[in-house]
Amino acid sequence: MSGRTIQLVVVGAMLAGTLIVQTTIAETTIAETTIVQNTIAQTTIAQTTIAPTQSAQTHKEYRFNVGPHAGVSVNNPYGSISVKPSTGNFVVINAVLSSDKVEVDNSLVGNRVEIQSHLLPGGEAQSGRVDYEILVPVDASITLHSSTGPLRAERLHGDITLEGAAATVEIRDMTGGHVHVKTLNGAVTLTNVQDGHVEIDSLSGDVTLNGVTGPLVQVISTSGGINYTGDFGDRGEYRLTSHSGDIEATVPDSTSADVSARSVRGEVHDDIPLQPKAHTWFVIKEGSAFWGTMGRAAVSSTVVLRSFSGKIHLRKRTSK
Amino acid sequence: MNCVELQASLVEIEDGRSPEQRNHLNACPECSALVAELNLIASAAVDLRAAEEPSPRVWNSIEIALRQEGLIRPQRPSRSLLPSFSSRWAWARWMVPAAAVLLIAVGVYVRQHSVTRDIVRDLRPTPPVSDMATAGMNDGLNDDDLLQEVAQLSPAMQAQYTDNLRHVNEYIRDAKGVVADNPNDEEARRSLMEAYQEKAMLFELAMDRSLP
Repeated sequence: MSGRTIQLVVVGAMLAGTLIVQTTIAETTIAETTIVQNTIAQTTIAQTTIAPTQSAQTHKEYRFNVGPHAGVSVNNPYGSISVKPSTGNFVVINAVLSSDKVEVDNSLVGNRVEIQSHLLPGGEAQSGRVDYEILVPVDASITLHSSTGPLRAERLHGDITLEGAAATVEIRDMTGGHVHVKTLNGAVTLTNVQDGHVEIDSLSGDVTLNGVTGPLVQVISTSGGINYTGDFGDRGEYRLTSHSGDIEATVPDSTSADVSARSVRGEVHDDIPLQPKAHTWFVIKEGSAFWGTMGRAAVSSTVVLRSFSGKIHLRKRTSK
Repeated sequence: MNCVELQASLVEIEDGRSPEQRNHLNACPECSALVAELNLIASAAVDLRAAEEPSPRVWNSIEIALRQEGLIRPQRPSRSLLPSFSSRWAWARWMVPAAAVLLIAVGVYVRQHSVTRDIVRDLRPTPPVSDMATAGMNDGLNDDDLLQEVAQLSPAMQAQYTDNLRHVNEYIRDAKGVVADNPNDEEARRSLMEAYQEKAMLFELAMDRSLP
């Protein structure tokens, strides 16, 4: 290698090395972007004490001004939580405390409101109960946690996560967003949830879906039953799975869907004539499985119904 | 004049000798012998040049051969940035390109390390379902741990957890059976994964942080 070549290599190496190190340093030290918020202030409205007709119930109200896409998290061991839309960018929390054995911790962290029912010494399921009614912006992301519930949410567009061991869950009139539900044995009911990404996990609670459509609707249950009423939208993936619970889907004539059903030990019935699938990757055994298409194949959803020992029934909805 | 001065003066003065040179040569036998040998070589060289001069073709052939072997290079202006090792600060000057190489190596290593970390974080490789099933997703999901966790709950809730634990274990057992019978059944493997997912959720609810 000639001297001139070596010179060029050395100079190029120095430039390249400097460039690489500078680029790497810049990437690792870039600060996280923060959400630009509108003016955020916290105002605590004076609390009022209800006359002790019962057991010294206390009513408290909190209000928070928040920015777009705010987060609201409520952790309430005992009691109900109900969430509805507010008329602006603010969160209003109305809490009814059943006794003085519980208090409400509240905080505004950035654009996120956090509410925690804090049990005091001596507090238990009855005395530690707090019932919440909350107003949030329609685009807020909600996380509700209660062992007893019930948990309710309606008319929102943001993501919602509801968890509770024995809490019943009711969600209605939602559009868009992600819906996540986890329960041990609480019943779950979704009504008119459109264009949603729905994932429900219920060990033994029954799950009822009325008019639920979206790109993904998934229900997994161990022993709970699953009941779907609707038309499965026009495009989407619907997967209803239960180990030992029964699965029932009631659909109108206008439904367009590619439906497959399979139960290892349970019975499988379909009341709707389906165009049989030409090629299936599992054996279609009469009474234990079916796979076919109803409506327009070109525009249809994919529906998968699976159970191990439960019954599966595809019903036709009768027009009134 | 001493010997060193005499030898240095031989280059400058071609003909004759200066008085100082003659005096030193007369007094120094070594320098005198050296001058005599130099004169002999000079006279013999003249004779040789005249006697056996190779033809120009010979010189051309030699030159071509040397160029082919890379022993002859065209003359370049000596403006090299490369320090010579013979100079006083040569080793210090070589530190500059060495530092450049080191800089590149460090930069490449750091960049590869961060890229690797990003790839590992972003890709989140998911092992095949069959591997998850056979490798024991149950690791860490000890039934006794769950029962111990819910022991402080009300009797009704304890019964619920116990009942659901039994159901989910049945789920896992049945799903394992189907996978064993149909190892190539992708749905069977997915069903097993969902069964484990249910059990994981059961544990998660049992360790609910909202409970006192």
